[in-house]
Amino acid sequence: MSLPDHPSTKPEVSKDGSVHRTKVLLLGTRRSGKTSIQQVLFNDLPPKQTFYLEPTMRVTQHLYDAKGNSTIIPLELWDCPGNITVDTLGAPLSDFSTVVFVVDIRDNYQQPISKLVEFVAGAYDVNPGINFEVFIHKAEKLQEDDKIENFRQIQERVTERLADESPEYEQVALNFHLTSVYDHSLQEAFSRVLHKLIDSLEFIEGLLNVFCSNTSSPKAFLFDTTSKLYVATDSSPVDQATHTLCCDYLRMLSSFAPLYKSNAASEPRVHALSPTPTPPPTATSSSPASTSSARALLSQSPSDEPSSGVAKKSLFYPSAAASLSPSHPGTTLTYHLVTPHLALLALLPTTVYEMRKGLVEWNVVWLREGIREIWEVEKTRSTTTHFT
Amino acid sequence: MGASGSGKTSMRSMIFSNNPASLTERLGATIDVEQNHVRFLGDLILNLWDCGGQEAFMESYLHQQRSTVFSAVGVLIYVFDIETRELGRDLEYFRECLEGLRQYSPAASVFLLVHKMDLVREGERAAVLARKREELERASGGKGVTVFGTSIYDETLYKAWSGIVHTLIPNASTLSRHLRIFADACSANEVVLFERTTFLVIATSSSSAPAPVDGGDISAAEAAAAAAPDETALNPKRYERTSELIKAFKQSCSRLREEFHSLEMELAEFTAVLDEMTKNTYVLVIVHNPVVETAAIKMNIRIARRKFEELQGDNTPS
Ligand SMILES: Nc1nc2c(ncn2[C@@H]2O[C@H](COP(=O)(O)OP(=O)(O)OP(=O)(O)O)[C@@H](O)[C@H]2O)c(=O)[nH]1
Ligand SMILES: Nc1nc2c(ncn2[C@@H]2O[C@H](COP(=O)(O)OP(=O)(O)O)[C@@H](O)[C@H]2O)c(=O)[nH]1
Ligand SMILES: [Mg+2]
Repeated sequence: MSLPDHPSTKPEVSKDGSVHRTKVLLLGTRRSGKTSIQQVLFNDLPPKQTFYLEPTMRVTQHLYDAKGNSTIIPLELWDCPGNITVDTLGAPLSDFSTVVFVVDIRDNYQQPISKLVEFVAGAYDVNPGINFEVFIHKAEKLQEDDKIENFRQIQERVTERLADESPEYEQVALNFHLTSVYDHSLQEAFSRVLHKLIDSLEFIEGLLNVFCSNTSSPKAFLFDTTSKLYVATDSSPVDQATHTLCCDYLRMLSSFAPLYKSNAASEPRVHALSPTPTPPPTATSSSPASTSSARALLSQSPSDEPSSGVAKKSLFYPSAAASLSPSHPGTTLTYHLVTPHLALLALLPTTVYEMRKGLVEWNVVWLREGIREIWEVEKTRSTTTHFT
Repeated sequence: MGASGSGKTSMRSMIFSNNPASLTERLGATIDVEQNHVRFLGDLILNLWDCGGQEAFMESYLHQQRSTVFSAVGVLIYVFDIETRELGRDLEYFRECLEGLRQYSPAASVFLLVHKMDLVREGERAAVLARKREELERASGGKGVTVFGTSIYDETLYKAWSGIVHTLIPNASTLSRHLRIFADACSANEVVLFERTTFLVIATSSSSAPAPVDGGDISAAEAAAAAAPDETALNPKRYERTSELIKAFKQSCSRLREEFHSLEMELAEFTAVLDEMTKNTYVLVIVHNPVVETAAIKMNIRIARRKFEELQGDNTPS
């Protein structure tokens, strides 16, 4: 199968190429928490340590690219000083796919809102499709009621101010999130920001939905293991407590793994049983990956070898399971690495995990194959566009 | 014992009440003595005396209440705040406590915790602790003491308290011996036995370098490890880090009103199972041999369960 002229044929990619979709601008007044957010998310800075961060004096670009395929979408995060303006930014707003605007929840909102409006106005002319994500930050500082009230008020004022400026601005997409570096609300909000940038999201979600229905899982996430952000989840609503547990689980496993590793240990492990990765019978008919659009997407994969290739069989994919009680019939939290940097975390009924382990494993293999194919396409696309 | 604000109640609440470090900031000063009976390993009842550290209380422990406070002491834990400005007075009280012990409980073991080590820059911790250790040993005037550097924000807390409770377990050596037999049966590279509620390490068996849990030897083993950074050496902090990690994860689970029950992993480097061993203990089995599967390990744990229940039964002073 030959590779079609790509990506210009893809309708959802803007005509100036998809290089832009990877740029994210981090804005907000001084001390609102921009650098903290960037450091906690991508550099594993312990939240308490953000206290010692120096003020940002210059625009700084942080690259989280596909080097080693470390994230599913290559990102370029621009951390800015508080006094930045549209003109001093040093790049046109049309370059950015997303603006993350950080507002300290306890601030006097006048100044941040003016700044936000200024950027919305600046973006409207050159890039009306840009996403504005407003992080109402340091939320943990307030009690639940005050938190909600401030959150509502800020949203209201922003909307009013924008309407005052020009009714056209209503078309600009604005989303509000409550965030804090001290819990996983930041990770969740940023995950949601990312989701809008993943073209193949719908296919990945489809794979996760099939996984959930085949294994009776109430919730499954696909996590990027380095950033601990989730790339996709099934269509059931995300409950914050469950998300937090998954983040904690991932963190615990990644800290645990190096503890007992011995450098004296033998060569890398090989999976004893490597089932031939064909779709499990229950999955084929309902698979969204077999819809025509997904087929078209998947078949563009350059390495479209038979999926049961010999080389792949030797790969070992780590997995883990934590069983929780006393909920009835008991829940097992499973972890399966599906690519070197993506892990499937799922809540499963313990009965399914224990009695029908084969079924679960089949579905993991099937999901892994689906993800891998989507992933190959994404990778081709991003490398192609880098040269256009 | 220890000066007010040195961190005694914080440690107690984290180890024995499963509170996260973040909650300790809300603790008020302890008034007089707070007595707590905590069950450890089911049958071993620890009677913890958390002695409020304000001066007036200290004076009273050393004088009016002297015989009550210092009689029948198994272990004295004296906490020194690393940032204290009144070390002189702290040491003065400490010496008087030792005197009280000599008089009423001469057999008691003494542990000195140099606490809030997280406030010292990471690179300097070892040196600061070494200096403190020397100073405190000198102040103890011949009484054998064990010194630990601790912080509620890292695994050092678990290391120190594992060392402390280890001295209280009556048949520790029998337990270790059986653990070794069990490890062989599992072809395990590492087996670690934890107390269930505190997740403190009570016994270990390792196929690599011996790493006993009691305080004195740990520093020696660590010094050796530091002196010869052997490529093949395992992380010397692995046991206390495990306690810390699992405790934190248990807390995450309980926030979802779930209870952590067991864990199994097949990772690139090893296979591991963490499961209940007896009513009061958890066991962690680490196997590097890729042929051994988690199911086999779980089966072995099930088989060993009775033997270990029996061993613990023997524990009960009838
Ligand atoms: N940085 C740091 N702070 C700590 C540590 N341990 C405890 N603290 C803090 O020290 C303060 C006092 O802790 P407490 O446990 O109440 O002290 P205490 O020794 O019981 O004090 P008294 O009851 O008055 O004798 C709290 O704000 C804790 O959060 C630590 O390891 N590092
Ligand atoms: N309470 C709280 N403080 C935060 C949070 N995020 C950041 N901070 C603090 O806010 C201050 C300013 O953060 P910084 O990232 O330097 O702000 P910037 O100037 O926008 O880059 C620091 O003292 C951080 O510790 C949060 O979620 N909660
Ligand atoms: Mg206290």
